[in-house]
Amino acid sequence: MFLTRSEYDRGVNTFSPEGRLFQVEYAIEAIKLGSTAIGICTKEGVVLAVEKRITSPLMVPSSVEKIVEVDKHIGCATSGLMADARTLIERARVECQNHWFVYNERMSIESCAQAVSTLAIQFGDSGDSDGAAAMSRPFGVAILFAGVENKKPQLWHMDPSGTFVRHSAKAIGSGSEGAQQNLQDNFTPEMSLKDAIDLCLNTLKQVMEEKLSSTNVEVMTMTAEKEYYMFSKQEVEEHISNLA
Amino acid sequence: MSSLGFEQFPDYQVPGVSHADFSPYESNGGSIVAIAGEDFVVIAADTRLSSGYNIHTRTQNKLFPLSNKTVLASTGCWCDTLSLTGLMKVRMQSYEHTHLKTMTTDAVAQMLSITMYNRRFFPYYVSNILAGIDKDGKGVVFSYDPIGHCERATYRAGGTAGSLLQPVLDNQIGYKNMNLNGEEPPVLTKDRAVAVASDTFISAAERDIYTGDFVLINIITADGIETKELQLRQD
Amino acid sequence: MDLDLARNLPRAGFNFDNCKRNATLLSGGFKPPTTTKTGTTIVGIIYKDGVVLGADTRATEGPIVSDKNCAKIHYLAKNIYCCGAGTAADTEMTTDLISSHLELHRLSTEREVRVVAANTMLKQMLFRYQGHISAALVLGGVDKTGPHIYSIHPHGSSDKLPYATMGSGSLAAMSVFESRWKPDLSEEEAKLLVRDAIAAGIFNDLGSGSNVDLCVIRKDNVEYLRNYELANKKGTRQLDYRFNIGATQVLHSTTKDMHITERIEVVPMETS
Repeated sequence: MFLTRSEYDRGVNTFSPEGRLFQVEYAIEAIKLGSTAIGICTKEGVVLAVEKRITSPLMVPSSVEKIVEVDKHIGCATSGLMADARTLIERARVECQNHWFVYNERMSIESCAQAVSTLAIQFGDSGDSDGAAAMSRPFGVAILFAGVENKKPQLWHMDPSGTFVRHSAKAIGSGSEGAQQNLQDNFTPEMSLKDAIDLCLNTLKQVMEEKLSSTNVEVMTMTAEKEYYMFSKQEVEEHISNLA
Repeated sequence: MSSLGFEQFPDYQVPGVSHADFSPYESNGGSIVAIAGEDFVVIAADTRLSSGYNIHTRTQNKLFPLSNKTVLASTGCWCDTLSLTGLMKVRMQSYEHTHLKTMTTDAVAQMLSITMYNRRFFPYYVSNILAGIDKDGKGVVFSYDPIGHCERATYRAGGTAGSLLQPVLDNQIGYKNMNLNGEEPPVLTKDRAVAVASDTFISAAERDIYTGDFVLINIITADGIETKELQLRQD
Repeated sequence: MDLDLARNLPRAGFNFDNCKRNATLLSGGFKPPTTTKTGTTIVGIIYKDGVVLGADTRATEGPIVSDKNCAKIHYLAKNIYCCGAGTAADTEMTTDLISSHLELHRLSTEREVRVVAANTMLKQMLFRYQGHISAALVLGGVDKTGPHIYSIHPHGSSDKLPYATMGSGSLAAMSVFESRWKPDLSEEEAKLLVRDAIAAGIFNDLGSGSNVDLCVIRKDNVEYLRNYELANKKGTRQLDYRFNIGATQVLHSTTKDMHITERIEVVPMETS
């Protein structure tokens, strides 16, 4: 894939003769260095599970936040550069609040993804007219959006190119290739939320280097009833210990 | 007008040196009424457009359908009405493109409020009433002041005869100041809502010089919008 | 110069201090009481055998119609009538006052009063009040010198014309006269023309409305045609808005017994 390294991989606004934008492709590659995140959408709700890399015993695990609330009805799991993720999530939150302010209704998940995508592809802008600084590179982040709309759960995925697609189940991050295969083999549209949580944790267990524990994994569910719901340490522990 | 002289200065005031300030606003008259029922809403407006003692036209529709579930009635300064309703149409279309769905009546109601408050210090000089079917399928009415205060209601009158008509609706639709001998107020039928709306305009045309010519009535249900017309006094 | 010694004599003539006071009050935000205005279309024309006066019947208070059928053609003398536009009280009081002056004039001269006399009295009175009496008039009548129409403005100027219009609907009415008036119209033509002029005001001027009043003054008789035409019919309402008995709640009631202690006796009137 990268045999044709040339000067075309420098500018974010230049296509290579083969019609590729190398910087964007590199950004997509950067995600594969990030921690694994998995999302599964069932009829009952969406589950998001992420691995947290605790690289030092002196790190405080709770300070690593990889699943965040965007609005009551939208949650996000991110993988890649966490600093970039913060910027995108901030935009998602602002857009959701603005939509509520102007229309007195919840923003749809797709519109939220669209709004974040608009920011994600601004790496190509020169950005001088209104004083905004130009972006130097694409965001090195992939995002899973979990949400409920009209009582129905939805899962969306967006990559650094700004492309967003709806999925039944999706894995991102370093273990995504193996995880995605596992999801394809085991996902069924009829599966319960409980089964989906187990599938998430089992898949993570397979692809993680460290041993799965309540300190290095975050689990969140998005259901019509409870909406955004982050699992406590105890709840995660229970699920892990009950895994087959 | 100027030939008479006496109109040029109000009573009790001495004529003298005065300078004319430019006024960006004008009242072009007209009245609007909306009445919501369980699964329908009736919204009506007269068709007279005037300024001062002159009639510009006798056939101006003041009802603006924004979707097949939502109609906006607007009177006041007609150029502001045109500007505001034009902007609303643009924003409705834009919403449809970005969010891939039609705006609900509640969303339109909020957006109208925000749009008007955007002009807090140079307001649209308009009296607005929004009528539609809400997301639960119920009839609903929203009324506004010129700077965007929004109030959800079941019936409302606005425009030049608004202050004449509102008490009539309070009594005939809201059953205010009416002893019902402990009985529940009867459920409002579509026919009664249309009849009361028409009758209030007949009465308004008697006493308000800016209301007359015709009344246009829109009846909004889940099936769409039905339109009716009724003649009023022409003087 | 020692001005203290010279007394400030009040100026002769009318005193308009209150007008200045009112202007000051107005500029300070004071809201004066509203007056009834007859927004009005009033007209008068000369035809072959006399004059025809016409008026609408709407009176307004701002944007509200305060009287749907008021009379704006006022009696001045047996042979003279006068249409009034402007502040209702001013037109009524002015015409009544001049009417009584004309009657006194007739009694002292023992002659039928002339229209020119009425015109002079009206304009002199209006001029004296410097436009503060808001009366715009169309004066019409027939005397031994023939038929006459005058239009009199609130400041006291007047015009002697073959056809005249006044009020907020004056332009609408004048458009009819300018296109169709000609000398020596027949009575039927004259009545139709005046009706059409008033109707133009009723329909095209928001200050005028309701019905058409006419007054035909001939050489030796007058025909006052009150509500000559009902130009506008009130719409028929669909519902009956009569309230059921008991619609107004009785909040409380008290009964008081009247104890009559005085005895009344009939005393026959003394007739002796």
